[in-house]
Amino acid sequence: MAVKLVLSGIGKDFLIPVIDTVSFSVEAGEFVCLLGPNGCGKTTLLRIIGGIEPATRGTVLLDGKLVVADQRHDRPVGMVFQEDRLLPWMSLRDNVALVLKPLGRPLAERRAIANRYLGVVGLRGFEDYYPGRVSGGMRQRAAIARALAIEPDVLLMDEPFASLDAQNRRIMQNEVRRIWRETGRTILFVTHSIEEAVAIGTHLIMLSARPARIREAIRNDGRVERAKLIDDLNAMIMEEVERQQGGASL
Amino acid sequence: MTRRDWATRLHLPTLGAVLVILVVWSLLSWRYGAYVLPSPGAVLRGFAGILKSGEIWGHTGASLYRIVVGFGCAVGVAILMGLAAFVSRAARGVVHDFLAVLNSTSVFVWIVISIIWFGLSNWAPIFTTFMITLPVVGSNIVEGVQNVDRRLLEMGDVYRLNGRQKFVAIVIPFTLSYLVAGMKVGFGLALKVSVVAEIFGVTSGIGYIMNYSREILETQMVFVWALVMILVMMVTDKLVFDTLSRRLARWR
Repeated sequence: MAVKLVLSGIGKDFLIPVIDTVSFSVEAGEFVCLLGPNGCGKTTLLRIIGGIEPATRGTVLLDGKLVVADQRHDRPVGMVFQEDRLLPWMSLRDNVALVLKPLGRPLAERRAIANRYLGVVGLRGFEDYYPGRVSGGMRQRAAIARALAIEPDVLLMDEPFASLDAQNRRIMQNEVRRIWRETGRTILFVTHSIEEAVAIGTHLIMLSARPARIREAIRNDGRVERAKLIDDLNAMIMEEVERQQGGASL
Repeated sequence: MTRRDWATRLHLPTLGAVLVILVVWSLLSWRYGAYVLPSPGAVLRGFAGILKSGEIWGHTGASLYRIVVGFGCAVGVAILMGLAAFVSRAARGVVHDFLAVLNSTSVFVWIVISIIWFGLSNWAPIFTTFMITLPVVGSNIVEGVQNVDRRLLEMGDVYRLNGRQKFVAIVIPFTLSYLVAGMKVGFGLALKVSVVAEIFGVTSGIGYIMNYSREILETQMVFVWALVMILVMMVTDKLVFDTLSRRLARWR
């Protein structure tokens, strides 16, 4: 399989070092879940990959091309944030159609694509609704439709279900898993829920306490029994949480 | 609908208060004479008179014309200021400081200066209206631009919208409610200020005719034109700005 994404020696300092060094590569079609204690830099890492934020050290290669923050280039990356970040004054259809504008598609085509992807995430019939008139789960689906509509090679998802209740969360996990199977996209998925990661990811990357390094990279291919994997990861994350808190009190 | 709803709808308590005021007004008028305080009846007859003669439209139209031109230019310039504030951080600081200075300048300064610059013409009240409403509308727009949700702009960056696309899709819709709020306040101010400017130098408009009525000792007409002003204010507020706000809030 082709290598899609390569991170080499990525590090990030704000006032303190947040990410120490993180290197890994992702092959096309993998579903990678990034795990780690809260505040360890998972979101920052995703933002660096998405080119929203520059790294202090290291490089990100997407399809062999360097990702440079704040620079306009054709990086086929879709992003789903923790919040839906839909424009409240546009219908769901217009929200999705908007991000197709930079791709230079004519209006009719943009609308057609938007309708299609809203259908993919199960929002057929809600195309004309404003975000304020649908539920949180539906808004998050629309945000996913928006990310899919640009047909990105890589889909970055930053705790996209954090604001959903348990039931909607379960439904959305299945949806994302299904969309991943059907579209064959490469997905990087940040979550703090181990159960979620084990349920949906093909690869799991556990980051350490801040400043982040890779604590463990695991292939989630069912060779280890699921319950045991969850127990191991839970033990790991508790160690890291303790280390991070110990560090903070120094 | 209950009886209570009807009572509030018709502003019954307010009408009651108005009735009391009318009675007191009549008594005071009777006590002090029509020059100081004309009776409610005289004011009403005066109002009917200018309606019948059509005089009301000429002066109201002249005032509205000046307000619309002065205020319209102020809105246009304010929008340009908002655009500058969005594009550059340095420009935002400059605009902010200028608006602060304009905000602290008295109406009278502009009236006097505009008479010096434009003489006795239409442009004096127009200029005064412009200078007074600009800081009100401008501050509102700049505040709106400043408050645009950064997370939405970041979303625009992620999906590689260019500056113009972000401005049209995110900044303008976000700022519109601030603009309408600023325009509502600004228009009220424009009406109040332009009639003051009309006292000097022009021979039409509500401000002029009020001052003229005072000079020829027709105090009841001063009251009549004040009434016209209030009506113009209330009608534009209801017809123009309420409709605008409702249109904008469609998605809420």
